[in-house]
Amino acid sequence: MTDVPAQRIRNFCIIAHIDHGKSTLADRLLQDTGTVAARDMQAQFLDNMELERERGITIKLQAARMEYKAADGQTYILNLIDTPGHVDFSYEVSRSLLACEGALLVVDASQGVEAQTLANVYLALENDLEIIPVLNKIDLPGADPDRIKAEIEAIIGLDTSTAINCSAKTGLGVPEILQAVVDRVPAPPDQVDEPLRALIFDSYYDPYRGVIVYFRVISGVIARKDKVLLMASGKVVELDEVGVMAPDQRQVESLHAGEVGYLAASIKAVADARVGDTITLAANPAAEPLPGYAEATPMVFCGLFPTDADQYPDLREALDKLQLSDAALKFEPETSSAMGFGFRCGFLGLLHMEIVQERLEREYDLDLIVTAPSVIYQVNMIDGSTLMVDNPATLPDPQKRESIEEPYVKLEIYTPNVYNGALMELCQERRGEFIDMKYITTDRVTLHYEMPLAEVVTDFFDQMKSRTKGYASMEYSLIGYRRNELVRLDVLINGERADPLTTIVHRDKSYNVGKSLVEKLKELIPRQQFKIPIQASIGSRIIASESISAIRKDVLAKCYGGDISRKKKLLKKQAKGKKRMKAMGRVEVPQEAFMAVLKLNQ
Amino acid sequence: MDPRSAYVHIPFCHRRCFYCDFPVVPLGDKADGASSGSVAAYLELLHRDIAASPGGPPLATVYLGGGTPSMLSSAQVAAILEALERRFGLAPGAELSLELDPASFDQARLAGYLAAGINRVSLGGQSFDDGVLADLGRRHRGADLREAAGWLGLAQRRGDLASWSLDLIQGLPSQNVAHWDDQLSAALALEPPHLSVYDLSIEPGTVFERRLALGELALPPEDLAADLMDLTWSRLTAAGYGHYEVSNYALPGHASRHNRVYWSGAGWWGFGMGATGAPRGRRRAHPRTRAGYAEALAARAEEPADAEGMPFDERLMVGLRCREGVNLERLARQENLKASQLEGLRQRLATYEQRGLLRIEGPRWRLADPEGLALSNGVLRELLAWWQEQEPLPAPAP
Repeated sequence: MTDVPAQRIRNFCIIAHIDHGKSTLADRLLQDTGTVAARDMQAQFLDNMELERERGITIKLQAARMEYKAADGQTYILNLIDTPGHVDFSYEVSRSLLACEGALLVVDASQGVEAQTLANVYLALENDLEIIPVLNKIDLPGADPDRIKAEIEAIIGLDTSTAINCSAKTGLGVPEILQAVVDRVPAPPDQVDEPLRALIFDSYYDPYRGVIVYFRVISGVIARKDKVLLMASGKVVELDEVGVMAPDQRQVESLHAGEVGYLAASIKAVADARVGDTITLAANPAAEPLPGYAEATPMVFCGLFPTDADQYPDLREALDKLQLSDAALKFEPETSSAMGFGFRCGFLGLLHMEIVQERLEREYDLDLIVTAPSVIYQVNMIDGSTLMVDNPATLPDPQKRESIEEPYVKLEIYTPNVYNGALMELCQERRGEFIDMKYITTDRVTLHYEMPLAEVVTDFFDQMKSRTKGYASMEYSLIGYRRNELVRLDVLINGERADPLTTIVHRDKSYNVGKSLVEKLKELIPRQQFKIPIQASIGSRIIASESISAIRKDVLAKCYGGDISRKKKLLKKQAKGKKRMKAMGRVEVPQEAFMAVLKLNQ
Repeated sequence: MDPRSAYVHIPFCHRRCFYCDFPVVPLGDKADGASSGSVAAYLELLHRDIAASPGGPPLATVYLGGGTPSMLSSAQVAAILEALERRFGLAPGAELSLELDPASFDQARLAGYLAAGINRVSLGGQSFDDGVLADLGRRHRGADLREAAGWLGLAQRRGDLASWSLDLIQGLPSQNVAHWDDQLSAALALEPPHLSVYDLSIEPGTVFERRLALGELALPPEDLAADLMDLTWSRLTAAGYGHYEVSNYALPGHASRHNRVYWSGAGWWGFGMGATGAPRGRRRAHPRTRAGYAEALAARAEEPADAEGMPFDERLMVGLRCREGVNLERLARQENLKASQLEGLRQRLATYEQRGLLRIEGPRWRLADPEGLALSNGVLRELLAWWQEQEPLPAPAP
């Protein structure tokens, strides 16, 4: 493989908003270059996690190497590096952009540019990537490429005179895209003679070969049997395999500067080979690692409890295993008088949290209760110490604390201007501080707010989507901590404090939240054989109260010869539903109730 | 133990009622069993079904249900009873029940059925309110019901009919307490020795299910439904009826022996399309269409011998519907359960026991009447979940 000179390598990625056709285009490129035969094509080749297909999003990065015979008669190596399309994974995006010299900016020819796309384009521009605008779905009736081009020029300031119209679905424009990648994306710098530096842009755990690392060689040469040093983790390993993704993994002897490939070296956990780390030779290390390495910091926390206490060891084992392949997942044991033994887990964001929860249930067959997400608060104590609190139930008593600070984010919403009012109202409700509003075209604006992260990680995204018929998109980044008047709101079910329902809210909102929360719980907790009071309290003061009346009738009308089997099936199904409930004292509480605080506006 | 009961399904109806999901064959308002070719063809299959049965000891109870068995002529009913007698014999004093629908028979036909040997009748009254009956898709009206009940009362007083029962449906759309109270008064005025009072349940595939989905069916809210059920219990028990099962009330000596078989764990034969039998405790249902039934009869292999009896969880599920409950210790012994397993079940049901809904009296477990019976599903869910956890299944005692 090292016989291909750097001048004939092109490394590029695709930047696109969800649904704008990134995966379809990637599939089409693989097909048109003969990398994957049409008959072997699974829909959306690159999204190969089951969950990714279901949700139509990319979670884990993938890469593929294509051979393309260009107009000059030469064969080029085109490395496509896929990027995840969700705000939870923006660090991974930034690393994969670093591995490229160019990017296809794919925009739906009828929808236009979205916030996430914009954020990634800016990242790409910062990294000096050559950007090739591509207008996709040109075959659809609503397509208006000229309008969208004007929009791209107005918003990003890109020259769109050479933009390519395409339809990834029909294949129209795809040859032009391939030729443009060769013509316009710069070849990687030829730094073969310098010490090895390779950038890890993704890794995953393979139960048989250990961690598989995807990397881009920036300088030098990496070869099988090399002893390499991972500069951030300090691990030294001997390489078992070096190879390329074509798109299936194929072993090669070595890879040189400019190339993209994978390696396997019996690495036990992805934490030892994190995204952003630099690979160098143990015997002849580079002087400096590549810039920009950062450890993933969880932003959102929740409790995970098995519905059946016997599953606690299984849950621990499953989390241990998941962590092998997910360096961003953090967890530690949590004990709650109400919930028993479980774990406090940290995630990059809500999507990451949902993915982990779903994988635990699907791949490890666990029944879980997940508590509402929380952010990490900084509590300044009277005695001068500071405490970081990621679990509202453990917030110290008011007399011991001096103040509470909460994380804030810079939030950018990109929306058609007709929804300005609705979105500003939403941001206001969520304690957002208006910074500015910019018209980027005559009918589209960006709204810029600073807002507590806690307000964003509840159902903000869903609310934004539903108030704008799905047209608005958003992007946020952490900007630091701010002091606020925050209080701990407890919930009592049948007179007993329900730890997992405890939440931290702003004092001004506490009454309304408490009232809606007990109302919502009344709706979500099924009636039981006795009356159940549900109360919200701040300290010892009850601020809202409801009660669930006792169930009086729950019986099968008829039960004769033929009815019995059917009715038994029905009861068994309902009994299984009970497994999704957690007994809090004598009250059976369903999973949905633990998320009630997210549903107060519905 | 060999079964001593038989259920015979007569699927024919004039029309399908809006709440009904039984295996029935509507033949139209004018149809009559004696002259219908379909009925004759079906009866031929039914006779073949009975004749092909392995047979057993004489039957103590027989129940001809439907459908609308009163679409059959008395000769057709007599022929079925004779076929059962030939195959099994009928025990002395056997309870021989027939379901009758008002407006589908007259006094002469009733006399014919009684002459054929029928000695207990179950009358499908459902309601006395003509508007309600129309909304249910029933063919008869309140006056038909009163007239038919009158004939049955007369036959009973003459000694030609040992007992009879009236079916009513509670929890109907738009029903309120006053309306239901009137219905119960009307029923009591007819002095039926036995009353079955069912909750309307919305079954898949019925007209009512569709209407409910369209929002056209105003079912009583849970609290009202509970009030109606309470009213039924207090009115009927005050009138001297015993509440011997969730939906069944009887004057002393008039509880249905056949129904009790279903709830006791004893086996029964099932004959006819869609009929469910459980000769040895394990349920098996015939196909629900005539074609499927015919095919199954033609292909009938030797019935596999299964002597394991009714599954333990089903035994409890039906047993706890009865006022006297179940002798759980004896059943557990038969099932080889350990004392610790039973203790586990008792723990799970502790809240029910503490609240007096479940009564554990020596070896016997029963649900309190009426509060415990009214919440029996809660107990059953716990019980079924518990039973599923008791794995691997212990081998039953020999």
